[in-house]
Amino acid sequence: MPSADPFDALGDPNRREILRLLSEGDKPVHEIASALPISRPAVSRHLRLLKDAGLVAERADGNRRIYHLEGGGVQAVRDYLEGIWGEAAARFRLVAENTAPPTRS
Amino acid sequence: MTSPLRLSFDVDCAPDHAFSVWTSKFGTWWPRDHTVSGDATEIVLEAGPGGRIYERTAAGTRHEWGEVTVWEPPRRLSYLWHIGRERDTATEVAITFVDEGGTRTRVEIEHTGWEALGDDAEAWRDKNRGGWDALLPHFVAAVTGGS
Repeated sequence: MPSADPFDALGDPNRREILRLLSEGDKPVHEIASALPISRPAVSRHLRLLKDAGLVAERADGNRRIYHLEGGGVQAVRDYLEGIWGEAAARFRLVAENTAPPTRS
Repeated sequence: MTSPLRLSFDVDCAPDHAFSVWTSKFGTWWPRDHTVSGDATEIVLEAGPGGRIYERTAAGTRHEWGEVTVWEPPRRLSYLWHIGRERDTATEVAITFVDEGGTRTRVEIEHTGWEALGDDAEAWRDKNRGGWDALLPHFVAAVTGGS
């Protein structure tokens, strides 16, 4: 399960642009940054969030970090949602079954 | 056409109690780590059609999560759901409480309306070369609950 919400990750236009850029091919950070109107630290933050959401991954190439789309990350979207609903359902049952139901005869 | 994410389970209580816990006690059971702020002090699902769903932080900031669209206690409840996202990308959650003999209830959850996200997917596809071709079918399956 990813540590960040993939829907959050997809909710930002800069992050969607990063995904689009990576769909054209794997890219190092500086190449992504030069295509975007935001600072390089900001790009790094977006990349970290996309990585936490399981949507991109990186590999080392010398001292460069090369980013690519993480194909398995899409399964993460479903896993994430099912995890949330599963936990919500379990917690709901605990409360519902342990609070006094209305008396009825 | 997108298909919903579905989940159902049984709970040992009457439907009216289940409905009441789902709504008026929403804040007691919704997973605390699935909030916008991460430190919500209050999570509320307001009763009735048009009722707001939101969290409030200790600092008083209010984050809207959704809005009740169907309010038919103790049988049916639906709401728009856009936690952490803009309202115009809201999905829809529909919950049905099925009476199973008065002391047991089947809770059926349907999470639908992924078209909003699908529009984005289409926009990406237009510009796509390579990666998304392989990625999109998985992505659509993941968010629509298809297998």
